[in-house]
Amino acid sequence: MSRRNGVGYLAAFAVIGITVVPLLFVILGGFRTTAQINRAPAGLPGPWVWDNYIEVLGSPYFWRLLGNSALIAVVATTLAVGFGSMAAFALSRYAFRGREAFYTLFTLGLLFPLGVATLPLYLWLRQLGLLENPLGVALPEAAFSLPITIVILRPFMNAIPIELEDAALLDGTAKLGFFWRILLPLSRPALATVSVLAFVSSWNFFLLPLLVFNDSTNFTLPLGVAMFQSEHSQDTAKILAFTALSMIPALTFFVLAERRMVGGLTGSVKG
Amino acid sequence: MSTATSARPLTAPSSHAPRAGGTPRRSRTRTRLELALLLAPGLVLFVGFVLVPIGVATFYSLYSWNGFGPLTDFVGLDNYVDAFSGDVFQGAIAHNLIIAALTIIVQLPLSISLALLLNRKLRGRTFLRMVVFAPYVLSEAVTAVIWLLMLQPGGFVDQVLRGAGLGWAVQQWLADPKIVLYSLFVVITWKYIGFGVILLLAGLQGIPAELREAAALDGASSWQATRHVVLPLLGPTIRVWIFLAVIGSLQLFDLVWIMTLGGPANASTTMATYLIDHGFKRYEFGFGSAVAVILFIICFTFALLYQRFALRRDTDGALTRAVN
Amino acid sequence: MRSVHKLSVALAAAATLVLAACSGSGGDASANGPVTLTWWHNRTTEPMKTIWQQIADDFHKTHQDVSFTIEPLQNEQFQTKMPLALQGNTPPDIFQQWGGGSLKSQLSSGKIADITQASSSWVGPLGQSAKGWQVDGKQYGVPYQMHAVGFWYRKDLFATAGVTSPPSTLDELNAAVAKLKAAKLVPIAVGGKDRWPDAFYFNYFAIRQCSVDALKKAVEKTELADPCFTKAGENLKTFLDTKPFQDGFVGTPAQQGAGSSAGMLANGQAAMELQGDWNPDVMQALSEDKQLDSKVGWFPFPSVPGGQGDPKAVLGGGDGFSCTSRAAKACADFLGYLVGEEVQKKLAATGSGLPVHPAAVASLKTETHKQIAEYTANAPHLQFYLDIAFPTNVGQALNDAIANFFAGQGGPDTIVQSVTKAAAGNK
Repeated sequence: MSRRNGVGYLAAFAVIGITVVPLLFVILGGFRTTAQINRAPAGLPGPWVWDNYIEVLGSPYFWRLLGNSALIAVVATTLAVGFGSMAAFALSRYAFRGREAFYTLFTLGLLFPLGVATLPLYLWLRQLGLLENPLGVALPEAAFSLPITIVILRPFMNAIPIELEDAALLDGTAKLGFFWRILLPLSRPALATVSVLAFVSSWNFFLLPLLVFNDSTNFTLPLGVAMFQSEHSQDTAKILAFTALSMIPALTFFVLAERRMVGGLTGSVKG
Repeated sequence: MSTATSARPLTAPSSHAPRAGGTPRRSRTRTRLELALLLAPGLVLFVGFVLVPIGVATFYSLYSWNGFGPLTDFVGLDNYVDAFSGDVFQGAIAHNLIIAALTIIVQLPLSISLALLLNRKLRGRTFLRMVVFAPYVLSEAVTAVIWLLMLQPGGFVDQVLRGAGLGWAVQQWLADPKIVLYSLFVVITWKYIGFGVILLLAGLQGIPAELREAAALDGASSWQATRHVVLPLLGPTIRVWIFLAVIGSLQLFDLVWIMTLGGPANASTTMATYLIDHGFKRYEFGFGSAVAVILFIICFTFALLYQRFALRRDTDGALTRAVN
Repeated sequence: MRSVHKLSVALAAAATLVLAACSGSGGDASANGPVTLTWWHNRTTEPMKTIWQQIADDFHKTHQDVSFTIEPLQNEQFQTKMPLALQGNTPPDIFQQWGGGSLKSQLSSGKIADITQASSSWVGPLGQSAKGWQVDGKQYGVPYQMHAVGFWYRKDLFATAGVTSPPSTLDELNAAVAKLKAAKLVPIAVGGKDRWPDAFYFNYFAIRQCSVDALKKAVEKTELADPCFTKAGENLKTFLDTKPFQDGFVGTPAQQGAGSSAGMLANGQAAMELQGDWNPDVMQALSEDKQLDSKVGWFPFPSVPGGQGDPKAVLGGGDGFSCTSRAAKACADFLGYLVGEEVQKKLAATGSGLPVHPAAVASLKTETHKQIAEYTANAPHLQFYLDIAFPTNVGQALNDAIANFFAGQGGPDTIVQSVTKAAAGNK
């Protein structure tokens, strides 16, 4: 390894070191009391307090919200990645009139501040009878995630050598069979990436669940955090504990997906 | 390089891009059916839950409307003229452009180094990846609260700087109009770096290890291999990232809103915080919608130019072709 | 309610760009038969959540044909959903109402009931408190509790710095600031990031400088044309030049975390803060100090020499409810019950605001609150926060101009012009 490279990696490690500090602040903050945090924002727990975490973990409400969030995120991610990869396949491996127009249409979704569009959206959801319904949040979230899914997947699918497709078609595989059996498995790294992005954006989405749900038993975690914040007014420590715990599922999803990102194409495709 | 081309990740050289499905064995009807099957679900979802609401919002932008009564006061393009003539909004556009430029200059090299590092077979690599990605998972509200605490006068950051003998560097991070935008940029970088890294990591997976090995056999140093083999192959991914990062910078909202509300003295106002502050918080919904449309047009213009000059090779000029 | 200025409020307010309603409503619309009132309030936390439920139950006991569907909504959720609800066919029958300019905006929905007649028998004891819920002389709601702004101060820090009694004139305040500075203490904390705390200062300098007539005219005509407002800005400038605030005050939040202005006061890092009567609750949440209540005191905004304003006039606002037209009669009866002596005493005991019924003052939790209530009750004029009194867009523009002024941009004339410009629809 050259020195230059070494310096680069050292810098990268330094960045990771800095990155971790605010995270430690959240996690360790959950082990302190609010008074400790107020006295010395940068201090370590002393003494360690387990109550915050125990209390949050022991509350059925937390688990209920976690379930709601997970259900919505899984549905939204499945739909976004499922429909997105189908569309990306059509837009990358078929030649047809209006293909680029379709692609442009999907790209437009990236260019508008969605916070504004969320609101007329509420009208639809009401007419569709989707208020107080997890689908009322999951369907739009899937739709919002479609553009980025397609923008990332399309070039990836485009890059898979045409020879593979020709070989498959010669073997008598239908084009959809090629999509399902060869292209999708080969696209694993990109699929994992878009899944993580869709999952995380669903996980943190605030405005839409706020509109759709009145009943607090239907709330998602971000709504829960907001409510938690107002109910425990300024109990920073407990809020940090709640936050640290609500990060775990999304991080777990990332770790699981991360395995898929590694070694997807490498070795399996050679041009 | 010709061997590499076919293994490019995230790229679609138009040379061997999609072929028509019109091989003799497959009828046109069948192809159409397949296309319908593949595109319909996504299209229905997208049109129903994204495009139509956007269209409705655009319609509101032609009215002066406080959100309560019926839409009666048609004002044409007045809302647009009002927005452009305000100096606060002009400042907001400038702030967005600064953030976008900084994002490319600072975040891009950082993301690439981190992705290269995290692509190596390291001990605890999964954990390191998780650390880099974790801020992206954190909600904006919580991110803002943490950084407000860390950046407050005499807070964590100031203490660390003083401890390191850099007391002269201590600033009023969020209260000095000259500095606030850059303080926010640091937080933005912290929060969103994971996004670039995860994208680039996926791109790196498409580069066969054999290529680097071959380069190494040819006597290339690791740096040279990176510079001349890996980076060009990452090009398409990088171009997609730049596209998404600039669009994201132009639409920046949550973090700024929660941390500074666009202040002090509008020094950190972005187009989106302006939209919420001057449009919706003041019950001027038509005006807010107009600002949203302006933001859309700015993003769209960028997208067009970017397609034409940078992305064309990768995505076959989707936007340009559609418009031409 | 001023005390729950949450960060996401405005984000959520963004969500109001919809034409429809979202209301779970119950009961039939017949005016006389049994009716179920849908009630939206923003007290999602205890003890108020339970207290509202009890009050509704109590009312039902004596009025068998009126029952309730109560929907407590988080503050930001409420602000998001209310405009939507007023667009639809089934808005809630009773809902949280802050009065002033936003009430005026809501009237254009045509769904808010005029309860002038229905309230005439019981609105009397409320006195001038009820005025903020009137538009063109008609009553469109009533407050159930009021709020007043004044200086909260640390008795211990005053003692340290040798300030023997709370300042009652501007000169005394300036002297106190100088003494506190000399003792290396932060004299005053202000949550400049949130803008509205800055606005309190301009509001009060205007109240001290301008006659009651000038203030009333300003709100009526949505302009600060009277020269007294410019003079108020100049006085504010002189005051700012004494640099009474903490370092970096333009970036300090008002209520969030220990580093907020309320947190600084609660933890003894600043000696004063110009804030509403709700401040003890906010401070208590930011401090472990159980004796906090006894360590802080309250004094009204000092008199300003040369002003035409009444030195006893007070700045404030309140929390109230409005009715929609479907079941206006039953709703108004219920509001009458809410502002009656019995319920008012119950509310006062919670210490969450000042009672609107004079007889309930004695039930207030702390002596300080009694002091504030008394001062407010004796005030010759209660000036609504200007940002609430003005139409929402004008009020926000005014607060912006004041916040910029605090950050060193613009002058008294910019503040005055901001109102004129916003009222004329300029951005």
